[in-house]
Amino acid sequence: MQKCGLFFTTYNSEDQLFPSKFQKTCLGLFMAAMLIAPYVLDFYYISVMNLIMIAVIAAVSLNLLTGVCGQMSLGHGAFVGVGAYGCGVLAAKGLPFVICLLGGGCMAAVAGMFFGIPSLRLKGIYLAISTLAAQLILEYVFLHWTTFTGGANGMPVDPPSVFGFQFDSDEKMYYLIFAITTLCVLGVTNIIRSRSGRAFVAIRDFYQSAENVGVNLFQFKLQAFATSSFMAGIAGGLWAYYTMYITPEQFSIGLSISYLAMIIIGGMGSVLGSIFGAIFITLLPEVLNTATSMLSAISPDISSLAAPLKEGIFGLTLVLFLIFEPEGLVRKWKMIKAYWKLYPFAY
Amino acid sequence: MMKRTMTISVVIMAMLFASTAFATLKVGVLSDLTGPTSSVGVPYAQGIKDCAAYVNANGGINGENIELLQVDYAYNVQQALAAYKRFKSQGIVAMQGWGTGDTEALVRFVSRDRIPVFSASYSAHFMNPKKAPYNFTIAPDYSTQGRAGLKYIKDNWKEKRAPKIAFVYPDKPYGLVPLPAMKEYAKEIGFEITGDEVLGLKAMDATPQLLGLKKQNPDFVWVGGTTPSTAVLMKDAKKLGFNGKFLVNIWGNDENLAKMAGPACEGNYGMQAAAVYGQNVPGMKIVEAQTKGQPQMTHYLRGFVSTMVMVEGMKKAAAEGKVTGESIKEALETLRDFDPMGLAPAISYFPEDHRPSMAVNVCTVKDGELQFVETVALPRDAKWLGK
Repeated sequence: MQKCGLFFTTYNSEDQLFPSKFQKTCLGLFMAAMLIAPYVLDFYYISVMNLIMIAVIAAVSLNLLTGVCGQMSLGHGAFVGVGAYGCGVLAAKGLPFVICLLGGGCMAAVAGMFFGIPSLRLKGIYLAISTLAAQLILEYVFLHWTTFTGGANGMPVDPPSVFGFQFDSDEKMYYLIFAITTLCVLGVTNIIRSRSGRAFVAIRDFYQSAENVGVNLFQFKLQAFATSSFMAGIAGGLWAYYTMYITPEQFSIGLSISYLAMIIIGGMGSVLGSIFGAIFITLLPEVLNTATSMLSAISPDISSLAAPLKEGIFGLTLVLFLIFEPEGLVRKWKMIKAYWKLYPFAY
Repeated sequence: MMKRTMTISVVIMAMLFASTAFATLKVGVLSDLTGPTSSVGVPYAQGIKDCAAYVNANGGINGENIELLQVDYAYNVQQALAAYKRFKSQGIVAMQGWGTGDTEALVRFVSRDRIPVFSASYSAHFMNPKKAPYNFTIAPDYSTQGRAGLKYIKDNWKEKRAPKIAFVYPDKPYGLVPLPAMKEYAKEIGFEITGDEVLGLKAMDATPQLLGLKKQNPDFVWVGGTTPSTAVLMKDAKKLGFNGKFLVNIWGNDENLAKMAGPACEGNYGMQAAAVYGQNVPGMKIVEAQTKGQPQMTHYLRGFVSTMVMVEGMKKAAAEGKVTGESIKEALETLRDFDPMGLAPAISYFPEDHRPSMAVNVCTVKDGELQFVETVALPRDAKWLGK
């Protein structure tokens, strides 16, 4: 006899991350599929997956700050940059991979906390502008602090090695990035379930009520900035290790905006949403490129006409999404799930 | 109806097959067709395509055709990375790259994968094979271009006092990279440096910079921007009665400058690496035939030459044996004074020095047309490599 639906007899069991067996099986299958992917897929797909996973870490961390805690940030790309440069500088000193990555994360966290201080006084669009200032100041620092960052010439970073094992190919980096992404995603999911997470949500929903029930605004806002920037730094470190060459132009305002687009398209305040958003924003140009190159195989003239359309299609997709699915891809996903839960007896 | 659908699908299949059936040498083309540098990226990419078409129509490389795989990466580093990986999985032997950001991001990848890349970014650090063993360009680095421009001015300077020079540039790697080298050389050959002004690439107004320049009162101003900001600078200079002459780097002076700045740009100088369309050089006939006489920007010619030099490397590699990334690189490093039919100064690469040449074309705008003035050649000084 099978039970219909889930029944919990303790709070702990209700609080599980993955309450049902079906969810656990699906997750297990997904993990297994991810692990065998490099043996099955061409390395082009693996490299795109690497880019996606780095974007996932950054998007999930931005979602913690913006979606969960309600603090708008236009400087996330620069915090990723601080992590990348921090990691690169430590790696150049010959320090081991884990220390460099965590060190880069910590530097980004310090930068995030510093630029998060105005958040006590500023909200919404005003905070957005002050984080925009952070973006511009940090970009300036990347470009002009030549002894530390290499300035305009950029900085080479060697591929990571752990206990003498070199991560010097896309496939090897894939496993490394996958492991760290899993840790980060689980980390954020658990932070949201913790006391801090609930405080973040309280601040987002109404800061005065949050303060009335005893949430220390300054402490928790800074904590949100620090945690989010730390993970952004980790994403930056991975980017530095993966591309092996970092320059100031890689961490421009465009990067910050694309992270914001990811969480808006994916779904604000949802970890799964950030993952969907990261996948969507990274894949869309790839899909459009593939489409144009397929067109050009048939007729070169069409491709030269279609190329300028690409940007338009990209923009149009974003606008249509905001109009027809303002709660993001994650809502679509929930609707699909609900549909199949009731299938074939939908009411 | 059914029959027609079938015919169409058979034709499409045949066309798809035709593109894969013959052995070809695949070359990746990373272009900016829609991004911020697309106004110069589009003609450059067209030059690459036309040159490849010309080579294919004239026997290809040892009988094998070149197949270009083009991706528009819209000047986005991440997309460039993904595009490069796609090229690699499709089996390219060489690549035509584009900007500074993407070339830098790919430096380590291409040297690991042994794929020679010709880029249109002339940052000095791509000239040093110790740092970028698989990077090639067909124009000397920005620093060499700047030095050549300074030399041209100094050689034509008639007065007894030292010429005074100021520097205007955007606060971007592209503007900052050649500065130290140029300032050092300017002092060395007897310039007086009056100061710097920062002018953004998207500037709509250059009045504050020009007021600063008027105070410094230089005879010449080096401009390290792109065409739109250079046009703004020149127009405002005319409006405010600034008398100094401008010396503009490679991406700041082209056929569009005259259109944007009008008479304000007359008589100023610019550095270029390739010929100007219609210039009296042997290769121009081929270019004119390929373009059916439609005038093209000088960037088009640079794309054309870039492909021509790559093809020369491939032909040399084919004569030695198999055409691979590694063999093309080795073949290129044996090039000595290869003349791209006059479309650019003669090109040589050495295993320890990837500066293509030390010669720079100085151009000027006369009656609204970009015109070639003269080629300035510098000695191949080892101390300048990569700086």
